[in-house]
Amino acid sequence: MKILRTIVFSLVGLIFVTPLIWMLSTSFKYENQVFEKPFVLVHWDDINFGNYRYLLTESPVLTWLSNSLIVVVVSVLCRLLFAAVTGYAFGYLRFRYANTIFLIYLAALFIPYQLSLLPQFIAFRYIGFLDTLWALIVPNIVDILSIFLMRQFFLTFPRDFIHAAYMEGSGVVRSFVRIALPLAQSPMLTLGILSFFMIWDQYYQPLIFLKSPEMFTLPLGIHSFQTQFGHEYAKQMALACIAIVPVLITFLILQKRFVESIVTAGIKG
Amino acid sequence: MVETKKRRASNSHSLERAERRMGLIFAIPSFIGYSLFVALPMLFVFVLSVFKIDLMSNTITFQGMSYFDKLLHDDDFWKAFANTFKYLVIYVPLTLLLGLVMALILHSRVYLRGMIRAFFIIPYITTYIATLVVWNVFLHPTEGPVNSLLMSWGLNPPHYMVDTRWALPVLAVIGSWKDVGFHCLLFLAALQGVPRDLYEASSIDGANGLARFRHVTLPLISPTSFFLLLITIIGGLQAFYQMALLTKGGPAFSTTTLTYHIYRTAFEYYDFSYASAVGVILFLITLVLVLINWFGQKKWVFYQ
Repeated sequence: MKILRTIVFSLVGLIFVTPLIWMLSTSFKYENQVFEKPFVLVHWDDINFGNYRYLLTESPVLTWLSNSLIVVVVSVLCRLLFAAVTGYAFGYLRFRYANTIFLIYLAALFIPYQLSLLPQFIAFRYIGFLDTLWALIVPNIVDILSIFLMRQFFLTFPRDFIHAAYMEGSGVVRSFVRIALPLAQSPMLTLGILSFFMIWDQYYQPLIFLKSPEMFTLPLGIHSFQTQFGHEYAKQMALACIAIVPVLITFLILQKRFVESIVTAGIKG
Repeated sequence: MVETKKRRASNSHSLERAERRMGLIFAIPSFIGYSLFVALPMLFVFVLSVFKIDLMSNTITFQGMSYFDKLLHDDDFWKAFANTFKYLVIYVPLTLLLGLVMALILHSRVYLRGMIRAFFIIPYITTYIATLVVWNVFLHPTEGPVNSLLMSWGLNPPHYMVDTRWALPVLAVIGSWKDVGFHCLLFLAALQGVPRDLYEASSIDGANGLARFRHVTLPLISPTSFFLLLITIIGGLQAFYQMALLTKGGPAFSTTTLTYHIYRTAFEYYDFSYASAVGVILFLITLVLVLINWFGQKKWVFYQ
């Protein structure tokens, strides 16, 4: 019974990722083999690496990849620092009216993100952020969900640790940097992984803020590539693989941690 | 003795005051950030919807409610409005149901649980735009692998994204496929939180599997279901990627939802005021749906 169930459910799971398996298979084919009948998973005698070679040497994919990485890394680091400081203020230091103000913050989770992009576009146009990576990084720093998670963490932070630091003559800032931050590593790592995946995926913001191809991030690059090479499907699949493989590997390595992070973010959020 | 206690009390009191004072300073970045990136933009959207702003000449003129008036008489707006709800009607139940079923699969006695779980959540973690490019070819109306297979069985399959009747449902299903991993994980966490002795007690009472699911499991996971329902509605209202990459709102406007309508009016026609008016409506719809569910939860959500 358990074996039968395993077989059936594995097949269901496999069907679920069929498009991605097909993508991987097609990325190693020639254009005239894309819709071949009968379908062959891998042409062992003639695997085509040409699509990847073309993308990596003759197209701006590497630029897009590095733009994506810059945006993600800078955004995530700034977001973590911002969330930690704010979370400490609202969760541990708890100044007057902190809870009331925090409720106002939380209301923002119900606002469709597309709305704030309209005024952002106009404002960025005036300060010259359009067509620069700043337009993508700066709005990513303020993230209500991240602030929420850090606040939850600091709400139950042991006060004795900080008081011990006060006894040794540290002030609030020093005890935050020396004691609280290092002990917050675990939730910050969780938040970092989650943010990495979210920001890597962003497409609307680059779509409206970026114009020149050398500024594109990977999702926008994929879009422009699709418009430009509408019928070169094998190359499109190779590009999709290039975008997916880094996150997939990160995910498979950190699977346990990642699952935990989604669950904590979901349950607490 | 009493003396030291008093001093300690006053010490901790002043310490608390110092912490509160510093707390305010620690919170300053968030006041600035929240104002700049949440509060002011939101306010500005409302302002934009009653003013006409000309980006070329930098002039602003007051328009009153004229944009809302225009919107109420705009067929395109009403089509987008209807499409948004059609999308929700498919996307929300499908994602919730599929997520629950997948969680039940992972919760059952099965080998290779880690592998099956990975299969289920891989779409959720992969780059959305990349998967859409794959779907675009995978569902190619005449030559794509799906339709080749169906045709080889002698069927006459639909043309998906180029058929006005099929395009929106297909986009909704793709949206579910992409997001359901998140739902699956949260439902799984909720299922694992159901105390085992409750199951044992109910089987002693003679409840069978289905009755147990209905009367024990479902009520106990209802807080998670409620949270996911809200998230799914909010997410469904904001669906945009599929329309932008796969259909451009077509064919014949059939996949233009409110979010895509906002995008097109703002960033293709540069009519920010009209887009803001539509945005205000989208915001109100979100608010109303959240409130309805918030007050409706008393009927079915069970907090321990």
